[in-house]
Amino acid sequence: MKQIIKILSILIAIAAFWIGLLESSVVPRSNTWLLPIYLIVSLGCYGLLMVGVGLMKFPTCPQEAGLLQKDVAEAKEFLKQRGIDVASD
Amino acid sequence: MELADRAVGFLLSIISLSIFTYYTLWVVILPFVDSDHFIHKYFLPQDYAILIPVFAGVVLLCLLSVFIGFVMLKSKKKKA
Repeated sequence: MKQIIKILSILIAIAAFWIGLLESSVVPRSNTWLLPIYLIVSLGCYGLLMVGVGLMKFPTCPQEAGLLQKDVAEAKEFLKQRGIDVASD
Repeated sequence: MELADRAVGFLLSIISLSIFTYYTLWVVILPFVDSDHFIHKYFLPQDYAILIPVFAGVVLLCLLSVFIGFVMLKSKKKKA
């Protein structure tokens, strides 16, 4: 609930700023009209950047994977001794 | 595999940063530069600044819809 209030207030602030720019016409009108598109494009770029950074810093732990494989093999051996069929590799 | 993922992530970051820089230059900074400055040669007219993102968004939406439809068709076939 709090998050949505934050997002909404940010949106309202941006809209107010944009309408103010439109009304006051400090910069030419055709450029002010580009601002929402610019915001959407920058949001897309931010998303792409976050995906890229997440891919680059994706945490892997090869040692843990090796330990897990060893545990799996051990468990299979143990179960086979007790006569339970787990021979699905 | 890990290296390929990392390379793809690096490429995505570079692409997004370059698009952001270029678009910021194009939309925010260029209107304040004189119109006979040489830098205007490297940018398309302002109309394209609104046309290209809208076109790209429409294409993206179409691809997404096609993908979702494809997945739904596939899942239905599997269920039957």
